[in-house]
Amino acid sequence: MNVILAIAKTTLGEAIRRRVLLVILLVGVLFVAIAPALEALSPRQELTVLRSLTLGVIQLTSAVIAVVLTVYLIPNEIERRTIYTILSKPVRRWQFMIGKYLGAVGALGLMMALMTGIMLLVFVVMGKSKDVSDLAMLAKVPIAFFIQMSLLAAVSVFFSTFASPIVNFFLSGGVYLVGTMFDSFFNVLTKETQPLIVKIPATIVHVIIPNFQSFNVQNSVINPTQVIQNETMLYVGLSVYAVTYISILMILGIIVFEYREV
Amino acid sequence: MSLAIETKDLVKSYKSKSGTINVVDKLNLQVEPGEIFGFLGPNGAGKTTTIKILLGVIYQTSGDAYVLGKEAGDIEIHKQISYLPEKPYYYEHMTGFEIMQFYASLFGIHDKDKCKSLLDRVNLGNDMNRPISQYSKGMQQRVGLAQSLLNDPQLLFLDEPTGGLDPIAHIEIRDLILQFRDEGKTVFISSHELSDVERICDRVAIINKGEVVAQGRLEELLVGGRIEITANNCTDATASSLRDDDTLVSMNHGRVIVDIPDSHSPNEVVKTIQGAGGEIVSVIPRRKRLEDLFLEAVTVDNRAKGRTIGTMTGKDDGTEADEVTA
Ligand SMILES: Nc1ncnc2c1ncn2[C@@H]1O[C@H](COP(=O)(O)OP(=O)(O)OP(=O)(O)O)[C@@H](O)[C@H]1O
Ligand SMILES: [Mg+2]
Repeated sequence: MNVILAIAKTTLGEAIRRRVLLVILLVGVLFVAIAPALEALSPRQELTVLRSLTLGVIQLTSAVIAVVLTVYLIPNEIERRTIYTILSKPVRRWQFMIGKYLGAVGALGLMMALMTGIMLLVFVVMGKSKDVSDLAMLAKVPIAFFIQMSLLAAVSVFFSTFASPIVNFFLSGGVYLVGTMFDSFFNVLTKETQPLIVKIPATIVHVIIPNFQSFNVQNSVINPTQVIQNETMLYVGLSVYAVTYISILMILGIIVFEYREV
Repeated sequence: MSLAIETKDLVKSYKSKSGTINVVDKLNLQVEPGEIFGFLGPNGAGKTTTIKILLGVIYQTSGDAYVLGKEAGDIEIHKQISYLPEKPYYYEHMTGFEIMQFYASLFGIHDKDKCKSLLDRVNLGNDMNRPISQYSKGMQQRVGLAQSLLNDPQLLFLDEPTGGLDPIAHIEIRDLILQFRDEGKTVFISSHELSDVERICDRVAIINKGEVVAQGRLEELLVGGRIEITANNCTDATASSLRDDDTLVSMNHGRVIVDIPDSHSPNEVVKTIQGAGGEIVSVIPRRKRLEDLFLEAVTVDNRAKGRTIGTMTGKDDGTEADEVTA
């Protein structure tokens, strides 16, 4: 456990200093900060526009950070040969991989927390929020995003055990896109009227690909008429779903990594 | 006591466009506990690859590798060994002290004083709070050595520990390695610094194209002396005609240096040179050096296998030797 934490801590420390990530984060933060100004340009002067815009920016920025951060996570270690010094110590490969993953998720969490904090600050300062409970509701959405991004990070760490960073970027990005358009995408492809040649692969992909869409809980905040029945259950359910997927992906990744030459 | 390192017909092959090549080819090594073992060979001979297999970072294609009596890669053994990679790189955002703490925690060691005293031992005490990104090559190499001592290893793998270091740092590291032997540690060191190796190693193995071409105690391998014959006004043709398996010939602006084992008589060489109009400058007997053994072993191996590469006759006497092909 100590070993995993030590690797996670080091990974986190390195990740939050990576210039590419900081630039992406800065762009995200800027957009969140100037969103109220952009809202003024919109014809529909409603809170919903600002909310969906801000949350959308946070989600997109987080997804880009999650993928960019993780596609290089293990390849960089190999390229710089830092992995040799680590694996020649009493560190098992699975510990190394889990440590790297947790460190990345930690860095992601910090960056997302920063964006969320700025969002809340902007909403308070600009008077765009009714009350504290409204703010709290707003703050919960990025938590669901964070669970979503942790899952996305696991997808990309899994791919990174055999794919190059560039290939991985498109693989993980693709999985995320397909997974985000989950229902609309698969409803069409798995329709009864589809030929089997489309239907069967689509069904298989449907089963394999994580449903990223279910984490998009922003609708209830943006549109108050959509009420979530049991919020706690929703979040617990999302966490269980994500943790299950993450575990499977990590186990598969570890199996590949264990046999692979580094 | 069992061997510190043993490999039996170790093979590592990689697929290339022209088929599979054995980068390590039926390698048999025996390293005794407590000795400093020099692992030598030309660039690309397979030294680093062998070390990586012994560490369990990559896997052999066939054959066996044992470290401290257990199969290579055994995680328990990793508590007793350490590794200094060639051209090491450390997380640059960390300070020397932080990197030590990080590596220490991988052993479950949380002793700050130990980290500090090891940094002192490699003369980094004053720089330990600076980020690694500001360290010179030599300082990074010394951090590498310090981290390799964290677990009080019984066996150290040092891959070119003096690569890129200035002569003073060289000597410092050489002295450190000698101290390791006094502490009873086994040191497995891959190096191109033959004079260093000759000074500190008990035994060496020279490998070429993944195969051992010489292995044994230095004093046994370096028996016999050599004779160096220097002559002026020589032609390339004369120089070429002198070339032989154990005769090293270097040629520079008509000056030829012929280096033969002392079992050969210098008379013949002298006669040949004089017969071709050359002028003998000196005939000097000298001790056989590791460099001679290295060149001899590698050249003989390459010729026997019909390879033409790696047969340069470079010498370290300050003259720039033209390559003379047989
Ligand atoms: N992953 C790999 N795939 C293909 N070939 C490889 C791989 N790793 C090493 N090689 C080849 O194996 C050979 C031996 O490499 P190795 O690094 O072990 O040499 P070395 O003896 O350490 O050389 P040097 O003295 O230059 O450090 C080289 O020809 C190298 O190109
Ligand atoms: Mg090497």
